[in-house]
Amino acid sequence: MKYFSGSIDSLIATIKNSFRPVVTESVRPEASRAERYRASFALTHDANGEQNCIGCKLCENICPSTVITVVAGPKRVSEFTGKKRGYADDFTVDLQACIYCELCVSVCPTDSIVMVRVQEQPSFDREDLVLTQDKLYANETSKPLSWANGTKLRAMLDPNASPEEDAS
Amino acid sequence: MNPWLHGAVYGAGLLGFMMTVGALASWYERKFTAVVQNRLGPNVVGPFGVYQPIADAIKMLRKEEIIPRDADRPLYLLAPWIPTFLVLISAAAVPFGGYYAADGHWQSTWLVADLDLGVLWLLAVSGLMVFPIWMAGWSGNNKYALLAGMRMVAQGISYEIPMVLTALVPVIAVGSMSISDIVAYQAEHGWLIWKLPGIGLVAFVFFYLASLAESNRIPFDIPEAESELVGGVLVEYTGMRFGIVLLSEYLHTLVASIVASALFLGGGHMPFLSAMLPWWTAPIFMLLKVGALFFSIYWVRWSWVRYRADQLMELCWYWMVPISLAMVMATALMVTGGWL
Amino acid sequence: MSGTTTRVNPHLDIERYDSDADLMALNMGPQHPSTHGVLRIKLFLDGEVIIKAVPYPGYLHRGVEKLLEKLTYVQITPIVDKHDYVSPMINEQAINVAFEKLAGVEVPRRARWMRTLLAEMQRVASHLLWLGTFVLDIGGTIGGGASLMMFTFRERELILDLFEELTGARFHYNTHMVGGNRHDIPVGWAQHVREAFTLIRSRIADYHQQCTANAIFLDRTVNVGVIPADLALELGLTGPNLRGSGVDHDLRRDAPFHAYDEIPVNVAVHGGCDSFGRYMVRMAELEESCRLVLDIVDNVPEGPICSLKPVKTPGHVKVAERRQVYVGIESPRGELGTWVIGGGAERGAAPYRCKIRPPCLHAMSALPYALVGHTISDVVAVLGSLDPIMGEVDR
Repeated sequence: MKYFSGSIDSLIATIKNSFRPVVTESVRPEASRAERYRASFALTHDANGEQNCIGCKLCENICPSTVITVVAGPKRVSEFTGKKRGYADDFTVDLQACIYCELCVSVCPTDSIVMVRVQEQPSFDREDLVLTQDKLYANETSKPLSWANGTKLRAMLDPNASPEEDAS
Repeated sequence: MNPWLHGAVYGAGLLGFMMTVGALASWYERKFTAVVQNRLGPNVVGPFGVYQPIADAIKMLRKEEIIPRDADRPLYLLAPWIPTFLVLISAAAVPFGGYYAADGHWQSTWLVADLDLGVLWLLAVSGLMVFPIWMAGWSGNNKYALLAGMRMVAQGISYEIPMVLTALVPVIAVGSMSISDIVAYQAEHGWLIWKLPGIGLVAFVFFYLASLAESNRIPFDIPEAESELVGGVLVEYTGMRFGIVLLSEYLHTLVASIVASALFLGGGHMPFLSAMLPWWTAPIFMLLKVGALFFSIYWVRWSWVRYRADQLMELCWYWMVPISLAMVMATALMVTGGWL
Repeated sequence: MSGTTTRVNPHLDIERYDSDADLMALNMGPQHPSTHGVLRIKLFLDGEVIIKAVPYPGYLHRGVEKLLEKLTYVQITPIVDKHDYVSPMINEQAINVAFEKLAGVEVPRRARWMRTLLAEMQRVASHLLWLGTFVLDIGGTIGGGASLMMFTFRERELILDLFEELTGARFHYNTHMVGGNRHDIPVGWAQHVREAFTLIRSRIADYHQQCTANAIFLDRTVNVGVIPADLALELGLTGPNLRGSGVDHDLRRDAPFHAYDEIPVNVAVHGGCDSFGRYMVRMAELEESCRLVLDIVDNVPEGPICSLKPVKTPGHVKVAERRQVYVGIESPRGELGTWVIGGGAERGAAPYRCKIRPPCLHAMSALPYALVGHTISDVVAVLGSLDPIMGEVDR
């Protein structure tokens, strides 16, 4: 008899489930991604409109997959602050080999490289997966940036930082 | 009416009905599955994705035809067409409609051919369907297909026995092999599923399970077990040949529902309503019953896991065959004893 | 035709078995829907009964251990995510616990509690995936198994969303580092965890209703793939595979790591030694881990999450002398161990040698014993119940 009752139980479980709401979506809206979601990269400008990257190559050294190539330019005086600082002449991220580990973001001293919350579109050319400096700076405005940048990631590890207020 | 004309017109009608349902069955299966699993199912092509089977057919027609080099060509090419042909002709003797004639007897109508040996026709045709699956398995020159084909032979011929025996129960109870007579008897004396106390229900369930086994549906789909045998007998088929076999499988479930509802559930008859309602409601009732059984076949498929081959055989030979034999004898006793 | 309990010697040459038997050699090849990755099993069949089974792993070998000799301690974590790709948190924790022991770094209390919480959440997610694929293999890719798989994946999505909220990635998180964790708990996360796990806990009864009492499921798993306790111990099976054979051994209780010395764990043991026993152990672990998560998430202590300063250069952690350490932690598949020898490249910033002890490799070694006398249908049931992940077996 247990033979039949077990079989009927399975049928009931299936039908019981058919009354629950649908959980798949046709297309997931980008806004529903979590704040910290990491998908692609962007280089940022500072408040004056100057590029944040100082060409220090910390990100290039830390990357486990060696996908970042930074060509540091000669140090020159910034027209906004009047101080001498480094610049990056060329900056390339090869998305074909990137493992999205966020280590480059966590070491950047000037919060220059950040991740964005929207993936790159699939394309037919391999060149489209190699993010050049122009594409990276364009991503800063065209894609929503992820929450994390270098300062915030390092602040989370600071033992003296006060914890965020948890309303729950 | 001229029997040739009758056969042609009703045959065309039945063919149209079955092919439409067969095409829609794949859409229905995917939509029902999606509802059960909280998913969306096909929803892009047409309203609620109804044109999805057409899209699938076009896709399959455009696929490259790959025939294995060492395949047994005549068998390989012939194997997909036979089950489709057989399954389309097997429902020819089942009446879809009926009405109470002036003298109180039920008159079955809307059937292609009023065979005196209707039940035998059904069983013979479904017995032939073991061959094409085995042919497909053998001809692919593939060990997986061979294993699946052998399993199908074992399963198919084993489960024919309970199917025949349980189909004999209505035949003995009614005293005739003609399906229209069986339906007429049920219309006048009550559905066989409860007319024969206990036996009717068990016979119906066993007939239903045996039909599932014959058409390779879960829980008996060992010959087609996708997660073990990677598609079973169909592993070497591509494109439209594959599609034809899938279509024949859906149609076989439809035929199983039709036959079960005619033999045990009274065909186009409803207990109190048929006497009051006009003649054109009978096909609607028949379709309702067929639909309910069809739905339950898919429900079972998406709830249960599959049997192993030897457990399947054990179920058939240890349980279903002895009980079916006992039921046949009991029915025969009841008829001769006059309790029926 | 159920499994035999006499010990067979799977290393016997096939001709020695029975020279008259007409055996068919069938390849359950690397491309197969049910081998849980790329695994090749060569089966010698007499009709449908397996006389000898030889597994051939190695199709997913990526040379990771060689790579780990070149990368430094702070760069390795995102690489080992990809071993047991179903439970990446545990992989990261295993390697970082070993590195911390090697480098003598202490982990702050909050980080240890967070690691415990993440490990238990990952255990639930991994067991949900296991359950889905197990019943999928038994029941049919298009059939009853698929229904249950959709249900468990629906619940697993909730957990992946939680991880996304915490770390930013649904898979391969890189949220651990030598000395602690990298991501701290955001506002509102604890409430989401509570909601999600209360829901998951209530759905476990549904899974039992669909499977445990179903007679067909019992027929497929009881007395299938019997691995007696002494054989299991000899082969080095650990985790649910060992506990399903009746041996009461769980690293969370017997050799506590993270915060398990402060959190008691109820260990599930089943004496069946068959696939059903392993199934019941994992189902019990599902419930236990849900309970643990709901307990821990309210009690994570305050404090720093890392005892080292943030990483600046690859040479952040250096171990100059060539000493060695082995640490094993309890992954959803068994004891995931890491054996590290320090003093490697770049003046000790990279390990000299890093060997991962995958629990699934030992489960693979049980296949030749467990499959003899069964049929092909049982191969998928046994494989599913041993829960192998080929990324871990092959590295």
